[in-house]
Amino acid sequence: MIRTAKLLSATGLSAMLAFAASPACAEGTTAGTQITNTVTLNYKVSNVDQNAVTATNTFTVDRKVNLTVAEVGNSTTSVAPGQTDAYTTFLVTNTSNAPLDLQLAATQLSGVTAAHGGTDNFDVSNLRVYVDTDNDGTFDIQTDQIVSYLDELAADASRRIFVVGNVALARVNGDVAGVRLTATAREAGSAGSMGAAITETTGTNTSGVDTVFADTDAGGNTARDGSHFAGDDFTVAAAALTVTKTSRVVSDPLNLTTNPKMIPGAVVEYCIIVANAAGSATATDISISDVLPTQTTYLSDYGVKTNGTVTSGTCNEGTGAGSFADGTVSGTIASVPASESRNVLFRVTVN
Amino acid sequence: MKYFLAFLALVLSGTAAWADVRLTSNVLVERIVKDVGGNDTVVLEEPKVVTPGDRLVFTLDYKNMGTEPAEDFVITNPIPEAVSYAGGEADGSVVSVDGGTTWGALASLTVAGTDGQPRAAQPSDVTHVRWTFPQPIPVGSGGKLTFRGTVK
Repeated sequence: MIRTAKLLSATGLSAMLAFAASPACAEGTTAGTQITNTVTLNYKVSNVDQNAVTATNTFTVDRKVNLTVAEVGNSTTSVAPGQTDAYTTFLVTNTSNAPLDLQLAATQLSGVTAAHGGTDNFDVSNLRVYVDTDNDGTFDIQTDQIVSYLDELAADASRRIFVVGNVALARVNGDVAGVRLTATAREAGSAGSMGAAITETTGTNTSGVDTVFADTDAGGNTARDGSHFAGDDFTVAAAALTVTKTSRVVSDPLNLTTNPKMIPGAVVEYCIIVANAAGSATATDISISDVLPTQTTYLSDYGVKTNGTVTSGTCNEGTGAGSFADGTVSGTIASVPASESRNVLFRVTVN
Repeated sequence: MKYFLAFLALVLSGTAAWADVRLTSNVLVERIVKDVGGNDTVVLEEPKVVTPGDRLVFTLDYKNMGTEPAEDFVITNPIPEAVSYAGGEADGSVVSVDGGTTWGALASLTVAGTDGQPRAAQPSDVTHVRWTFPQPIPVGSGGKLTFRGTVK
């Protein structure tokens, strides 16, 4: 029995060493790995230890080609009309047990339901695919590079991809542009160039490394075709502004402020109201200019008040200040959120 | 399938006894396929196409071809590094989760958890499986042993 124990402990030691020598990665044993099973038999005859008997069996792990493309985040990308380099982010992962090149292609949807429920009704222009070169998670057009494939992506590795486009100035609130990023597995080949297309091993199996496509049909994909896509969309968030101008008589030289009439010398207050429709994007830096009628004289003592709110059609005085020059009143409203109004107030006297 | 068969002839002094015990190791891939009726059917295939996640069935065949009973018969199978043990048959096997130092039923073994505290050993912790036969294997007798694993 002493000898048996020695044999067993020796077997255990070699197994431990083998364990440390070739770790398996998270996506599975590397393609081409040979798995050898060794079994040992110890026994005695007539109470005498006999030489151990061993038997082994070896097979080769084949290549399981699998990849995923996933949208980063789960919401539409809000864009403004005229925005350039609007981008949406995807994560492309090689879930194979071998390194791959992954060919990348961005396409636009046409009139169908986009990723977040809206109906695609326009295309962005200048559609491009960038890789997050510096891996900082944000698109930087100076640093990140335009790519058509990911080179030598290791098993279990992933890269962040930006699909980038420009939005026409004429687009209106709620317009949707659906985009799709498709990654296709290619042979890793040599570094610096995209490898050849991969074909699944069909027909007679070989004792060498075979290739099996294992990508899933999640999200409308075709299972086991060696490619995978995911969609995202751009939704236009525009401001929908309306401008109205109202006036009221503040005082006249005879009635003063009690029931003043619009007579020469009366002080008239003009209110320019900028309203933003419900559901719109907040509009900012709205410039207002108004040429005064020649029959009126600008009242510089009052000045030009901006950023005032509007309560039930009544203009409240704002705290910002505009200006008057060459017969024109000018003012800038800082911002108007959706469903709200802001005003520019000034006063004149009637000549 | 490759297999290696080792056997040994030993002449004991004064007698003509032959010790000759044969052992083979085999592995098959277990797949679930649809039969003509559309039902799931388990089939065992030669391990030609094997990818991570595939289920394996290891079989060990032994036979005493000698002229004397084989005593203290112990078969030990370290689990290959790229295979995760997935249980055996109720055939008297014991397992080790520490490289073959201690042995027992899986439920009786513990390993150090990530927090340093012992936790119950799981099938994937198994490093070795072993069969110990209490009775000698008679001349001409043999059998088959089975355990399962998954390609990591």
